[in-house]
Amino acid sequence: MGFNFSRYLFMAIILQLIFAELLTINGFQPNIMLLFIILFSMPIESSSRATIIGFLIGFFSDLVLFNGSYLGLSSLVFSICAYFASQVSFNFAHRNFDLYWLSLVFLGTGLYSFFRYDFFFFNDILFFLKNWFSITLYTFFVGFVVTRILGLKQTILKDA
Amino acid sequence: MAKIELLFKKKLDRSVLFICILVSFLLIFSNNNQRIQNIRSTTLDTFSFLYKPFNWLDNQIFLTKKLEVLSHENLKLNLENQILSSNKIENERLRNLLKFRKRNELNFIGADILSKGVNSNMSSVLLDRGLVDGIDNNSAVLSSRGIVGKIVFVSDNHSVVQLVSDIDFRLSVKIIPSETEGIMRWIKSDICEVVEVQTTSDVQIGDVILTSNLSIYFPPNLPVGKVISIYKESNSSNKVIRMQLFSDLSTLNQLFIVDKEG
Repeated sequence: MGFNFSRYLFMAIILQLIFAELLTINGFQPNIMLLFIILFSMPIESSSRATIIGFLIGFFSDLVLFNGSYLGLSSLVFSICAYFASQVSFNFAHRNFDLYWLSLVFLGTGLYSFFRYDFFFFNDILFFLKNWFSITLYTFFVGFVVTRILGLKQTILKDA
Repeated sequence: MAKIELLFKKKLDRSVLFICILVSFLLIFSNNNQRIQNIRSTTLDTFSFLYKPFNWLDNQIFLTKKLEVLSHENLKLNLENQILSSNKIENERLRNLLKFRKRNELNFIGADILSKGVNSNMSSVLLDRGLVDGIDNNSAVLSSRGIVGKIVFVSDNHSVVQLVSDIDFRLSVKIIPSETEGIMRWIKSDICEVVEVQTTSDVQIGDVILTSNLSIYFPPNLPVGKVISIYKESNSSNKVIRMQLFSDLSTLNQLFIVDKEG
């Protein structure tokens, strides 16, 4: 398997820690773990396997990386994103690789924001959107850089 | 046969997704459960070592800047202290004359920041003090300049602070000298807004903002920030006050937790 799970998981954890500690912009940081689970699930044929892995990594992230706050939220978001990521067909992923992971990151951060900031969704939609788009844009930017540097498109499509 | 297999596979995939979503919701809704709290507490203590190298690196990178800020602050505080010392004597004498009740002195527990909140959806920091050091949930947390947040989770040796910059954070404040009260919420970087302020209130740019007497968790009169602009809310009879926090949230290093026992 070209997409070495443990190696990329380790890299994702380190990157998440680096961005959280050193590279936050105006309090916002990219969700590297979400990016990892989306990219990792794309070549997986079995959606149920991808969903379970998404759930477990989400649980781990909530407990260990995200200071244990809102336990279950990352499990929920990662399970859904992993399920949809694994549903992609090879031809579609080949032609629309960036569009596909970008859409799923957008969905994932949207779900995060909705559960975390439900109050603002109903009371101050601009505030809610600002938070959602800031995290999404930062994750997009990091995602673009990481996928280009590591040549992830080729690795993922080779496995798909 | 192949069709049945495909149908079964699709059903299995959807069932697994459904179960995962269900379990996730169960976890979300049992966040306040004691067992879940214990698991969170144990993992927080076990995995806190992960943040240490990054925190050390962060300290090294910004060490010169932090030293410069601290030296500047120290000089400013020394000058202020001299004025306040003479005012304190006068204040105590006048309070005695008027037979006012003695104010409770606050005690603080110092803590180092271990992690600047590895959470893309919550502005928080992890401290190296916990239950064994006397930290309680919902205690007020300050930097050397003023309020920065409150404790939202405590384990034996660590605690999580929800920062003022978390968009869910609210604080009841009063503006001095008019004693006008309002609710503070974060806007961006070190800028916050005080809402629910009546238009008739006499607030001026430069006025100082302190914690009010109405807060359940925050003791009154802790420094928060100063007024930088005032405007009227459209379709409302209230004023909105823009304020700058005294604390610089980007250079936090050591924090102080109000000791409720003390």
